[in-house]
Amino acid sequence: MKIAVLQFPGTNCEFETLVAVKAVGMEGEIFRWNRPAGELSGFDGFVIPGGFSYQDRLRAGVIASKEPVMSALKEEAGIGKPIIGICNGFQILVETGLLPGSIEKSSGNVDMALAQNVMVSQGKIVRRGYYCDWVNLRHEAPSKRCSGSFAIERGALLKIPIAHGEGNLVTTTPGLMKKLNDEGQVVFRYCDKNGRIIDEFPFNVNGSTESIAAICNEPGNVLGMMPHPERAFFAWQLPAFDPRKQRPDEPGPGRRVFESMKRYIEVNA
Amino acid sequence: MKIIGLSDPQVQTSLRAAGIGMSVPEARTIAGVLGRDPTLTELFCYDAMWSEHCSYKSSRATLKEFLPTDGPNVVMGPVEDSGIVAIDDKWCVVISHESHNHPSQILPNEGAATGIGGIVRDVNCMGATVVATADPLRFGNPYGPKANKVRWVAEGVVDGIWQYGNALGVPNMGGDIVFNDSFDDNCLVNVVSIGIVRRDQIIRSRAPPLAGEKGYDVILIGKPTDSSGLGGVTFASEALREEDEETNRGAVQIPDPFLKNVLFKANDDLFRLVRESGIEIGFKDLGGGGFTCATSEMGSAGGFGMEINLDDMHTAADFPAEVLSIAETQERFLIVSPPELREKILKIYNEDWDLPNVYEGARASVVGKINTGDRFTVTHKGEMVCDVPIQHLTEGIRYNRLELPRTIRVQEPDVAEPADYNQVLLQILRSPNIASREHVYRYYDTEVMGNAVIRPGEADAGLIAPVRGEKFGIALAVDSNPFYGRISPYWGGATAVAEAMRNVAAVGAVPSTLTDCLNYGNPEKPEAFWEFREGVKGLAESCKKLYLKGYEAQQQAVPIVSGNVSFYNESPQGSVDPSPVVACVGIMKDFSKAITMDLKKAGDKLFLIGPRFDELGGSEYYRTIFGETGANVPIVRFDLERNMIYAVIDAIDEGLLAAAHDISNGGLAASVAEMALTRPARFGVELDLDCVQGGDIGMRTDKLLFSESSGFVLEAKAGSEARLEELLKSYSLEPMQIGIVTSKRRIVMSRAGECVADLDLDEARNAWTAGLVEAMR
Repeated sequence: MKIAVLQFPGTNCEFETLVAVKAVGMEGEIFRWNRPAGELSGFDGFVIPGGFSYQDRLRAGVIASKEPVMSALKEEAGIGKPIIGICNGFQILVETGLLPGSIEKSSGNVDMALAQNVMVSQGKIVRRGYYCDWVNLRHEAPSKRCSGSFAIERGALLKIPIAHGEGNLVTTTPGLMKKLNDEGQVVFRYCDKNGRIIDEFPFNVNGSTESIAAICNEPGNVLGMMPHPERAFFAWQLPAFDPRKQRPDEPGPGRRVFESMKRYIEVNA
Repeated sequence: MKIIGLSDPQVQTSLRAAGIGMSVPEARTIAGVLGRDPTLTELFCYDAMWSEHCSYKSSRATLKEFLPTDGPNVVMGPVEDSGIVAIDDKWCVVISHESHNHPSQILPNEGAATGIGGIVRDVNCMGATVVATADPLRFGNPYGPKANKVRWVAEGVVDGIWQYGNALGVPNMGGDIVFNDSFDDNCLVNVVSIGIVRRDQIIRSRAPPLAGEKGYDVILIGKPTDSSGLGGVTFASEALREEDEETNRGAVQIPDPFLKNVLFKANDDLFRLVRESGIEIGFKDLGGGGFTCATSEMGSAGGFGMEINLDDMHTAADFPAEVLSIAETQERFLIVSPPELREKILKIYNEDWDLPNVYEGARASVVGKINTGDRFTVTHKGEMVCDVPIQHLTEGIRYNRLELPRTIRVQEPDVAEPADYNQVLLQILRSPNIASREHVYRYYDTEVMGNAVIRPGEADAGLIAPVRGEKFGIALAVDSNPFYGRISPYWGGATAVAEAMRNVAAVGAVPSTLTDCLNYGNPEKPEAFWEFREGVKGLAESCKKLYLKGYEAQQQAVPIVSGNVSFYNESPQGSVDPSPVVACVGIMKDFSKAITMDLKKAGDKLFLIGPRFDELGGSEYYRTIFGETGANVPIVRFDLERNMIYAVIDAIDEGLLAAAHDISNGGLAASVAEMALTRPARFGVELDLDCVQGGDIGMRTDKLLFSESSGFVLEAKAGSEARLEELLKSYSLEPMQIGIVTSKRRIVMSRAGECVADLDLDEARNAWTAGLVEAMR
């Protein structure tokens, strides 16, 4: 079971992401953008890690989305291999049109955007732009619905950090939000520590529509998420006030995303 | 340029007309050594290399006289771009500390960003992985006459730091911010960076042995050289004048974290190549002084000569030789390597990492050769533009500056004790210098790399666990209090060291090394030079008397392995308050033992160590409540200080403490409040001030609460109190059990049976979290 961790110029989370991939018992390697794209077919799954690919020029993720490796990745997605895009990886998947996966099949449209964060509290904009903090996520999809949350039960709560300037999911495509909800494509939402969805800052940390933090495509093999599970892989990485931090040998909440990916590949093999 | 035979005023005129900052005697010395009139390029090269910034011409003698730079853990002292200390037998910490003050005042965003960009190169070029940065920042008064400019600078600096650091992918793990009117026209933007490297994989910034005999290549990599940052070091070596603002803008470099990100990964491949081939190379970043500084210092450090051909350099346009020589174009490195590695090295940068396609004009180019001579020669378009003795160029010059104590009148204010301590406490918590730093550090990516154990705001120091599978942690903290420095430059220096060490001790780490960035005014003015000397003396005294833990018997000083001197932080309106900014690196053998400062459990007992003295000079209380400075600046009682630091480290190692926080700005009251207000902010406290003993007996309640004498507040784990008291007493400390953690969300303080303060936790938290937002809005 071999995972490619994609690396574009400006990617900056590939090393810790590879650590996470390997720690759950998968093989993995970093796949540099200028390697022959055809070699991607030799891998069983893919992670597009976070960072600032091509310096976020024009729009976050848009230049990387035009790379030959992304065309090759579309084909791999088409045959059901799991792809997890984290943060900038999510932005790249959206710009590629792999997420949410168009309503009109194969139209290849970009149906949504991850816009600048706008933090709103009590009707007022209290902050904009880049933000780094730990957030609480509620798993919205049933287990086995999506590759990256395959082994996570619906309603499970995960504490994972975010660090981004553009994670505010917006769309003007009619019917898209309804479809995402109806088809179980909403994978994680931001919530409070008890799992309540409170659609304003600091709970909805970036102003995202319906507090959405992660979505998958219709078949469920492609997942995009703004939070960084690889940074919450060990319990000792948790913030000081989390009691699990004192039990450093425990797995961190983010580990479940990588375990899910592994489980998904095992089941679909 | 003609110098020989001309009068002093004539030489002066032609130097200034050419944009060269050196003095006439300096120019004559150069002409004398060369035995002819120097070329324009030669003068520019000397001007950069002999600038205060590159040559430490005013400061070197003082630094050498006082600062301890050696110790049993020192792998490399302050000789190259970064200092290196050992963590254990295998791993080392690499640390560097610089200022980017002038550029940040002119163009805050670019100035602060290139500050980060430069410091991470200094660490990376030792063969290290850069794992953290920290930014000590000093801004003017956000409510003063220059509030608009001050806020513009502050916002731009913070933006520059996060935009560069986050994109590069290096977490920002610490730093501090102080607002003070002496920084109205001269902000201070210091930057600290640390890296890790295996002891057997350190790469030196010098031409390796036999480089001359074997004709090693000089390879320039990175961004194409342009004219940005032209004269940056000269600009950093003069006071700021408003009328020069246009010219000064050109001296600010242009940052590019994206290219740096790719370069770092390519450098990793270079390091791997070096390891696998077993061949030593020289590697250095291009910073102040640009291409000339990096090349000539590498050659001279190896004892060799060097020949450069500027026609082989990749450039952004057709610039004159003097521009190519000293422009401070960012994102460049220099390699000195044997010819047999040439093709492999070029392939790493030009093909594997595809620099020419990642960034227009970027690449690796062979630009020269090392030889066994003693000259630094540069040709451009077939002409010899520079031919000088390499050692003469790099050794610089020395000045013995005059010092004269600055006479200032200080006195303790005669103020009445406040009637309403709740209001006083709220005002202090809301002060921009005490308020929560959360507004700023939410911009900083602390999580990238996945190494963060303790983040900014959670404790007095940041802590990272940078190597998977290893248990050690590295703590980092910075400190310098300009208000103390104003009253006493000496105690300003001494307290900076003590507080930085307290900060890393408060998480449980053992202070291992220090760096200093010495920010002062114009050293040609005797008062400013005196302040500098006093500050260095104070720093040195603390280093020498607080001892490296584990080596007390030998009275081993805590070594200072890296640093920087930043003079000329002044404008016609005056100079900055003396600011010897100190960073402290602490090592923990087992990072899982580290603790934070937030209160953990209702019922836990709070202990104070460190008696209270009448030391409110430069205090937050005097300043915020009365607008006064005072005179009784906190001093360092070296034996007491050392005992407190050691006791806290031991107590954390034994697992006796649930939380710890040092006492500094805002005194005991602010420290206790911060422990309650730091997330998750679930608990209140009840303090009984009658339990505060020792120190100056019978002090008024306000002095007791707000004195900034050093100390710690410790939350003991239930059941550990007796052992804690025993441990503290073994260090000759008087444990003072001053209160308990409560489940009521109130901060309550009483004395002699009467309530002094009784503050709602949420009201206090609102004030504390709003203070910085309001100051930076």
